[in-house]
Amino acid sequence: MDYVLEILGPMVDGSLITIKMFAIVIVLSLPLGLLVSLLRISRFKPLRFAVGTYIWVMRGTPLMLQLLFVYYGLPFLPFGGIMLTDMQAAVFAFTFNYAAYTAEIFRAGIQSIDKGQYEGAKALGMTYMQTMRRIIIPQMIKRVLPPISNETISLVKDTSLIYILAMNDLLRTTRAIVQRDFDTTAFIVAGVFYLLMTLVVTFVFERLEKHYAAYEG
Amino acid sequence: MDMKMIEVQSVYKSFGSLAVLKGISLDVAKAEVLAIIGPSGSGKSTLLRCLNRLEEIDKGTIKIAGQILVSDVDGVSHYAPPAEALAICRQTGMIFQNFNLFPHMTVLQNVMEAPMTVKKVKKSEILPEAEELLRRVGLFEKRNNYPSQLSGGQKQRVAIARALAMKPDIMLFDEATASLDPELTAEVLKVIGQLAEEHMTMIVVTHEMGFAREVAHRVIFMDHGEIVEEGHPDQIFSQPKHPRTQAFLNSIL
Ligand SMILES: Nc1ncnc2c1ncn2[C@@H]1O[C@H](COP(=O)(O)OP(=O)(O)OP(=O)(O)O)[C@@H](O)[C@H]1O
Ligand SMILES: [Mg+2]
Repeated sequence: MDYVLEILGPMVDGSLITIKMFAIVIVLSLPLGLLVSLLRISRFKPLRFAVGTYIWVMRGTPLMLQLLFVYYGLPFLPFGGIMLTDMQAAVFAFTFNYAAYTAEIFRAGIQSIDKGQYEGAKALGMTYMQTMRRIIIPQMIKRVLPPISNETISLVKDTSLIYILAMNDLLRTTRAIVQRDFDTTAFIVAGVFYLLMTLVVTFVFERLEKHYAAYEG
Repeated sequence: MDMKMIEVQSVYKSFGSLAVLKGISLDVAKAEVLAIIGPSGSGKSTLLRCLNRLEEIDKGTIKIAGQILVSDVDGVSHYAPPAEALAICRQTGMIFQNFNLFPHMTVLQNVMEAPMTVKKVKKSEILPEAEELLRRVGLFEKRNNYPSQLSGGQKQRVAIARALAMKPDIMLFDEATASLDPELTAEVLKVIGQLAEEHMTMIVVTHEMGFAREVAHRVIFMDHGEIVEEGHPDQIFSQPKHPRTQAFLNSIL
């Protein structure tokens, strides 16, 4: 028990990095994903194609590779490299990766809305933008909550990939402790920490689903 | 004076190779109630949907309240600029067979949505109007319910209140009662009948021949994308001139 208390300090510090990464990426990637999904269904074909390519690249290559490329590759771009700190690089790669996944979920959600909703809105004089904002997107959000909840839980765990940039998140801290002390207790503590974090996420989504349960459809 | 609210001239519309409207021309005067009847697939819905641009025509002219929504330029349809076309279409309200209420909004929110979003009317201004409209269609008590908690007849009456909240000059009804049980049909027809008494200009596509005969000032029979016969309801229903009208009326009686 004393040992657990002793390692708790650094592990909490590691968790804070994990939570910070998670929070920033979720706040950035959900709106970006929504924007991307709207571009993906736009009437302008070149735009649809460009966005489709972006989604394909993001989903078709390992997130780890994207992470490494952003951190080590971007500084060496031929036309003026971009140098990012490890946190910036991680946030950048994760945000664009998760936005691609959530965009596809949002798109499927938008396309599942009955076309009568568009016609009803149009017959009332609403423009396309008004229809999306007031009628389609609010209904879409209710439908995509379960898959978005899944993605969000994945993100909590996927943040551990940033160890590759030598960032001291929860997992890397844990591994360092285990290697130093030859004691695997830290693994169990880390597992409990991750479970607690995903529990909070699950709880938030359950509340959201309850909120949207007010109506059927 | 007999002001024309809707003027349709030689309108053609195809879906791919399927010609659905083949040179439709008709006028509707202010405060007139026009009923359109005809077999399934004859193009009634398509015609109605062209009037508020849910469908775009290939050729012809449509004027709403004297303003040109679309006209013929060298045999090609030419729509008014977007903002203008939108303003023209806002003069019509439309009622669908499937209601198309917004399921995520309460009855009251459904009615207030378009005035607030489209016309930017303040909530404090539209609220009493919306409540009054709901009283008119007998649904004030249901104002805080969601559409899924209503019967079909109630949903359709909300849809009518919602359309009226935009203060349209013209109401278009596309089989407003076709998906309702007979006992629910009556309550919706009653509301439409009231609108007729208040001199609303209306086009009513319907399978309810009794209703068409009662409220319509004029009846049009459509078949295969053409207007086959038009006349006073008594004449159309008692002494149809055209054999296709006779055959249709016989088939549904
Ligand atoms: N969006 C569309 N794409 C292709 N074909 C269509 C479309 N909308 C309608 N049609 C076709 O156009 C024809 C006329 O359809 P419309 O819905 O106008 O008929 P209707 O007279 O309203 O029939 P009903 O009494 O069954 O409602 C039909 O053959 C229909 O299949
Ligand atoms: Mg129809």
